[in-house]
Amino acid sequence: MGVAALMTQSDDVKATVEWAEQFQGNYRLMTAAEKAEARARLERRYSAQYSKKVTVDTSEALPGVLMGYALNIRKCIGCRRCVNACVEENNQSRGKNPGERIEWIQVLRMERGEFSKEKMNEGYPEGLGIQVGGNAYTPAGQVLEGQYHYEPALVPEKDATYMPIACMQCEKPPCVKVCPVRTTYREADGPVVIDYNWCIGCRMCMGACPYWARRINLTTPVLPKAEMNPVTHYLGNRPRMRGVVEKCHWCLQRTRQGRYPACVEVCPVGARKFGNLLDPQSEVSLILARKNVFRLKAELNTFPKFFYFYD
Amino acid sequence: MKKLTFSAMLLALWCGIISSAFSQPTQPPEITCFESRKGASEVVRRDLQPGWPNVKCSPKTGAVLWWGDPFDGTVPMGDMPTVENFPTGKAVVKPRSEKIALMPMCAVACHNGVGPKFNPPKLPTSKMPTPIPTMAAMVPDLQNLQHGGGRIWCLDCHHTNQRNKLVDNFGNPVSFDQPQLLCGKCHGDKMRDWRDGIHGKRIGEWASTGKKRWFTCTECHNPHNVQDGARNRGFPQIAPEVPPQLPWGMKDAKHELRHGVSH
Repeated sequence: MGVAALMTQSDDVKATVEWAEQFQGNYRLMTAAEKAEARARLERRYSAQYSKKVTVDTSEALPGVLMGYALNIRKCIGCRRCVNACVEENNQSRGKNPGERIEWIQVLRMERGEFSKEKMNEGYPEGLGIQVGGNAYTPAGQVLEGQYHYEPALVPEKDATYMPIACMQCEKPPCVKVCPVRTTYREADGPVVIDYNWCIGCRMCMGACPYWARRINLTTPVLPKAEMNPVTHYLGNRPRMRGVVEKCHWCLQRTRQGRYPACVEVCPVGARKFGNLLDPQSEVSLILARKNVFRLKAELNTFPKFFYFYD
Repeated sequence: MKKLTFSAMLLALWCGIISSAFSQPTQPPEITCFESRKGASEVVRRDLQPGWPNVKCSPKTGAVLWWGDPFDGTVPMGDMPTVENFPTGKAVVKPRSEKIALMPMCAVACHNGVGPKFNPPKLPTSKMPTPIPTMAAMVPDLQNLQHGGGRIWCLDCHHTNQRNKLVDNFGNPVSFDQPQLLCGKCHGDKMRDWRDGIHGKRIGEWASTGKKRWFTCTECHNPHNVQDGARNRGFPQIAPEVPPQLPWGMKDAKHELRHGVSH
């Protein structure tokens, strides 16, 4: 279609722009002029495609900023508003058919077990699923590794705790290490991003990520015109194509402009916090100074910039 | 003849009215959604720009899922013990007192300080909650007020003579827009964390000196319903949003109970 459009001098914006996109360089290697050209091209194409004025931001990493995220796991009630806010903000696919809905945040529900001295010498737990926590004989702490399709009438449930996970924006990201085309990399202000145009969909990064944070568009993304968020970033929430990997990028289109990520704003219990780790007065720095903080899978030496804490 | 002309004119006029009524475009239904919890602040959905709404609401629960403009409908917070060096004018709140339906009546209709038992003011000496049928009908949570484990009652928080105000430690009235001045009397640790941005919710700009909309205590917590037997945290139970899509070929989520998350 692109060739035909080029040969016939077609007015089809989508076709001509897609053709030009095939010849653009890796985003990191583009000059400022090439970036501006790519930006104008995409704005033209998306505006025509979604029938509204779409902006594609290309702002660079903010100087003197290292973004950090903190989440209070004792506050989380498992309501999944963050998951849906993320879908609304970041133009994820939201079709009804299997595989057409993509969510970057997972909220895991974990059942509480019990620990008692009397049960210490009993046999291995049966019928309780995978034991996580406690000792080998008694399912203490969590008795399930996690559910995320849970659907009770009301949350939080009495005997459950919730643990949201998403991209941890590692300082030493395994996904970046394995990418054969170097389409994914870590920005200077923290987030790990993807140049969707250079992604070949090999899913090496999905295999390498220890936090299950990456998703692939196996089907053509379903994004209704009315629901499309027209404020986008080149490395952030611009509409993706089929066959590319995508992930959380801490709402670059918002955070580079000073606004909180969408999941932080929507959390009804205020469990999610975001700020500049280099600023001692920021929310995240104060949490690191005052609260009990841990990082998920710290033993893997990925050094996440996502911190869990509790009061 | 005149009669016929008159009826013809009437018919023409009627047809005109009907046709104009039908030719008007149908208005989209007005959607109101709640921001943090049901019963607290609400917002009406509208378009700030074409294709850019002020909020997006959840079709399942009616909660706000996304803010287009976080400062829509806010006013400066005013005097507050803020973080040191926090720029003034950058802390805003959404005024709530105007939204509470019965608030204008409280200090006029019943609690005007000149009722039969209140002139001169004569308050009960015991702090045991007294059943008040009229209030219980309006605020059902008062049937079993468990705030403070039953140790506090109405006038520990509400002003004696000005019932459309709360009360601080010195008996001074406190606006319903600044409940933190009241709540911080007992929950000092939470007050400090809230002031520093660790507890509670703020939307707007993430920089520590940025402009933010602060959510005050009562926007998230219902002070009349603090101990709900069915939940295990200090927040009322709410309906969750839609669960994630099941993987290909999976009919229901029961597999998770046997095998954990399929990764």
